[in-house]
Amino acid sequence: MTQDKTISRERRAAALNSWPRQWPSRLDRRSFMGRTAALAGAALLPQTAGAAPQQYDLQAIEIAPDTYAVYGAREHFTRANGGNIVNISFIATDDGVVVIDTGPSLRYGQALKALIEKTTKRPVTRVYLTHDHPDHVFGNQAFDPAVIASLPGVIANMKTNGEMFAENMYRLVGDWMRGTELVLPGAALEKSSERFGSHEFELIRMAGHTSSDLVVLDKKTGVLFTGDIAFLDRAATTPHADLALWHKSLNELEKSSFATLMPGHGPAEKGKRAIEQTRDYLTWLETTLKSAIAEGLDMNGAMAAPIPQRLQAVALAREEMARSVSHLYAKFEEPFLPVVSNRS
Amino acid sequence: MRTPIAAAAALWLSISVAYAADPPADPLKSVMWGQMYERHFSDKPVVFDDKVSVIAPKLAEDQTAIPVTVDASALTGVREIVVIADLNPIQKVLSYEPVQAKPYITFRFKAEQGTPVRAAALTEDGVWHIGGVYVDAAGGGCTSPALAHGKPDWVSRLAEVRAKVWRTPGQSTARLRLRVQHPMDTGLADGIPAFFVERLEIQGNDGKVLGRLRIYEPVSENPTLTLMPNLGPADDRVIVKGRDNEGNTIDAVVPVGVRSSALETGPNRATR
Repeated sequence: MTQDKTISRERRAAALNSWPRQWPSRLDRRSFMGRTAALAGAALLPQTAGAAPQQYDLQAIEIAPDTYAVYGAREHFTRANGGNIVNISFIATDDGVVVIDTGPSLRYGQALKALIEKTTKRPVTRVYLTHDHPDHVFGNQAFDPAVIASLPGVIANMKTNGEMFAENMYRLVGDWMRGTELVLPGAALEKSSERFGSHEFELIRMAGHTSSDLVVLDKKTGVLFTGDIAFLDRAATTPHADLALWHKSLNELEKSSFATLMPGHGPAEKGKRAIEQTRDYLTWLETTLKSAIAEGLDMNGAMAAPIPQRLQAVALAREEMARSVSHLYAKFEEPFLPVVSNRS
Repeated sequence: MRTPIAAAAALWLSISVAYAADPPADPLKSVMWGQMYERHFSDKPVVFDDKVSVIAPKLAEDQTAIPVTVDASALTGVREIVVIADLNPIQKVLSYEPVQAKPYITFRFKAEQGTPVRAAALTEDGVWHIGGVYVDAAGGGCTSPALAHGKPDWVSRLAEVRAKVWRTPGQSTARLRLRVQHPMDTGLADGIPAFFVERLEIQGNDGKVLGRLRIYEPVSENPTLTLMPNLGPADDRVIVKGRDNEGNTIDAVVPVGVRSSALETGPNRATR
């Protein structure tokens, strides 16, 4: 019996060593698209034949001098919104346009580029990516990779997660993603600031929402582009979060001097409400999950916890809380369950 | 006027229609229901019954750990609960005999794609009562390697049990939460043979069986369960025994603290 076990362990170890370090791609996207196309041919053709392709309706809203916001819906990814749930910003400098994040798809990136040209009549000179999440980076294809820049950690995360995110986006929003491929930034940011025209951009390395988050402060206008370190009136998401690091980042941002805060999701505002609300939501989330664990509840019980009055106006609080239970619960509950086994 | 023979023939016909020929219509309209019925339930009458509550998220955020809560306590005399996921490559998730326990269990499972999740409760009159929900999921939960294999200590912690019992004074039904450290390899990930916890039994003080579980490959890595055993006033421990398909044993004693009620481990105790 013991020997059998040993052999099996060796076999297992050999199998382990032959694995790729990253999880294998779950589903080949092309085969998936093939299947989807076949399904579409069978089921959707009568409705879609001859219809114009779906178009994003993007608007540039001036939030500070030379500074524009392109707001996404405070929603989840759906086939109706095409993944346009994210805030993109651009700043027209004398040296060209600086863009913060590129949106969820090739088609979004193209619409964004057209909007920038129409609004500023200037070329794009720099694109900053705040982090690797799909709603922020899959418009990259519309821009010259050489001008796209982010932190080395963000680029590493894109290499790790990009293909998986692409597959998931095709599944969630469908045809809006047509032709979208991962494009990595051509430049890894090492400096702590860059100047374009009269605008100096402070490049702040943070973490917490993901393992690498870039926050950009335009020193000329005082606009702070937080990426998804701050959310406002839209619940924060936690699939790759480290809550302790996230709080540290929020505390640092709170101490920094800025005039207007542009969150990754939700409205730009003067003042610190986005920082305070994101902190409040994350603190409530962690306390609620740990309380549920301490009461002996499992994940479905925790997901049913009430949303406090003050957070009820935060879009998607219920849905994101449930998602966060999946992200965080198993990790949180381990210390609450003491080891009781009779083995050395 | 019917003769006894005609009545018997009619009864035979109706019974054969009910559980030999055609399965009852599936409220979840699964293409696999016919096969699930034949394979698991066609030996006894089957009813779809809201008294078997199955709670799971509509959309799985993590297809390797979809939380499910099954509660059949609205039925009396539940002998066994069988959980199946129709569209999984391995459909049977677990079966549970709540010998001296509330017919209630929570667990997490892996889905290869969106699938119905059904719980069938066998009552002592020999009828399967089936409840279920549909869970949508991205692909691959059963064919992804366990995370354990990326951690150096997984072998040394194999079969480690973490558990706690919550008992409210004056109530006989306690709540046992239990986690067994185990990769639960399905055998469907490339080059990784099936390796999973097969059996778990929980016993009271004197070895009396409180509940018996058979666990199958789709249960998530590090199986984390909630069971609700009935404890007597003298029970000060719950014994956990089990084994995996390679003969590794699972062996633990969970103390039942009289003070460890839900009330006394509320929010103020949440931080450690």
